[in-house]
Amino acid sequence: MNKRLAAGLRQALGLAGLVALWQWAAQAGHLNPLYMPAPSAVAATLVQLFVQGTIWPHLYATFAAALGGLAIGLGLGAALGAAAALTPLIGDLLEPVMIGLNAVPRVVLAPLFVIWFGIGLGSKVALAVMLVAVLIFFTVFTGIREVDKKLVERVATLGGGWRDLLREVYLPSVVAWVLGNLKVAVGFAFTGAVVGEFVASTRGLGYLLSFAQSNYNAALMIALIALIMGFVLLIFALTGWLERRLLRWRG
Amino acid sequence: MLRVKDLALSYGATPVLEGVSLEVPGGKFVSLVGPSGSGKSSLLRAVIGLQKPSAGEVSGDFAASEIGILFQDDALLPWRNAEENVALGLRLKGVDRGSALASARQWLTRLGLYGLSERWPRQLSGGQRKRVALAQVLAREPGLLLMDEPFASLDAIVRARVTGDLARLVEQRGISVLLVTHDLEEALALSDTVYLLSQGPRAQIAGRYEVTLPRPRDPMTVRTHPDFAPLLTRLWQDLSREVGGRAA
Repeated sequence: MNKRLAAGLRQALGLAGLVALWQWAAQAGHLNPLYMPAPSAVAATLVQLFVQGTIWPHLYATFAAALGGLAIGLGLGAALGAAAALTPLIGDLLEPVMIGLNAVPRVVLAPLFVIWFGIGLGSKVALAVMLVAVLIFFTVFTGIREVDKKLVERVATLGGGWRDLLREVYLPSVVAWVLGNLKVAVGFAFTGAVVGEFVASTRGLGYLLSFAQSNYNAALMIALIALIMGFVLLIFALTGWLERRLLRWRG
Repeated sequence: MLRVKDLALSYGATPVLEGVSLEVPGGKFVSLVGPSGSGKSSLLRAVIGLQKPSAGEVSGDFAASEIGILFQDDALLPWRNAEENVALGLRLKGVDRGSALASARQWLTRLGLYGLSERWPRQLSGGQRKRVALAQVLAREPGLLLMDEPFASLDAIVRARVTGDLARLVEQRGISVLLVTHDLEEALALSDTVYLLSQGPRAQIAGRYEVTLPRPRDPMTVRTHPDFAPLLTRLWQDLSREVGGRAA
């Protein structure tokens, strides 16, 4: 525990040092504030966003898209992955499609989704779903295919039927795989939401970013990036806690 | 009683076993030894029903739920602790969760694992995991126990102790056993009858040895009994003849 605390302290100090260096460089006039405003200016912008309350509808829009996309993507990816792994015909049909989708950076679908689903929430959710579902499809597909056959045999020889196999062997095994990829999925969901908003929207952190860009407002851009980073790290911490709790058996 | 009659088995075009017959009478301990690769494990898998024989039949008066199976791999569920793994065997037999857990704890204590019932499999040593697997099988009170080199991965001392515990429990409870092993001494020390499988392909039963050493038996000290060495010598010579001039 002490070791971890010391490591955390070192990391925090390192980060603080970097920000201090940045602040000093900005104040000493080494950085052009148009491109790289001081951290204090960024912080002031961030505080203003919250004090004035302008950030809330945008935060709500991004979170709704990201978390909605994450939930649907997890469900859809898991259902399709399980169907493909357990039914050879579905597997044969789905695998090439998924491999194709996995081969391209899926954010290129953003403009198409705007045409299909409009500039509202729908197109952002769709992009987040697309990013998450393909990842989870392969996670569940592999998780089921790679399940330890000795465990399957064991439960079967103890008289377990397919329901017992599903509950005792397949489900825990797949959950372990999915939890291992949950952090990546969370990152993907936010990427989908923000990129979707960046392409075309009237709300959301991605929209704000695009707005800041068109106004040459670097402080707002950096503030938004820091904000997104903060929220994603918070969700990472939550998924990490969930992972440690559910996968205690792994140690 | 378990009876295997004229059993033949092949992997694709390769014949493994041909015309194998053996019997495990009620409450008796029977071992199957033979050269490596002769098809001992395949025979056991056919008895369990994991492998389909090409001819012959396996019959017996045990219901599927009365048969306990133990392989070399302990195959404990890594996401269930020791007592839940043992209880699983009972729950799959229809026992409710509470009684299954209570019985699991008793069996773990009986097998020397008192205080370890909440450990995950990764927190247990090889010998302890094997004991958990054994508890999982014995808790179901099987009438017939089918085992394939169950203790092969253990070091000598641990192996001797687990084997001793198994022998005691099997003897006390009158469980019929069919054990596949490559260890001739272990086979003789534990068994009432030892079958020798011939060198494959088309392996057959090449010998049957009745072991009349007194019971109750301790599988370690019984090796000093005057009748033990002659039996072992005979079995060893017959096995060597089967292996023939082949390099080990």
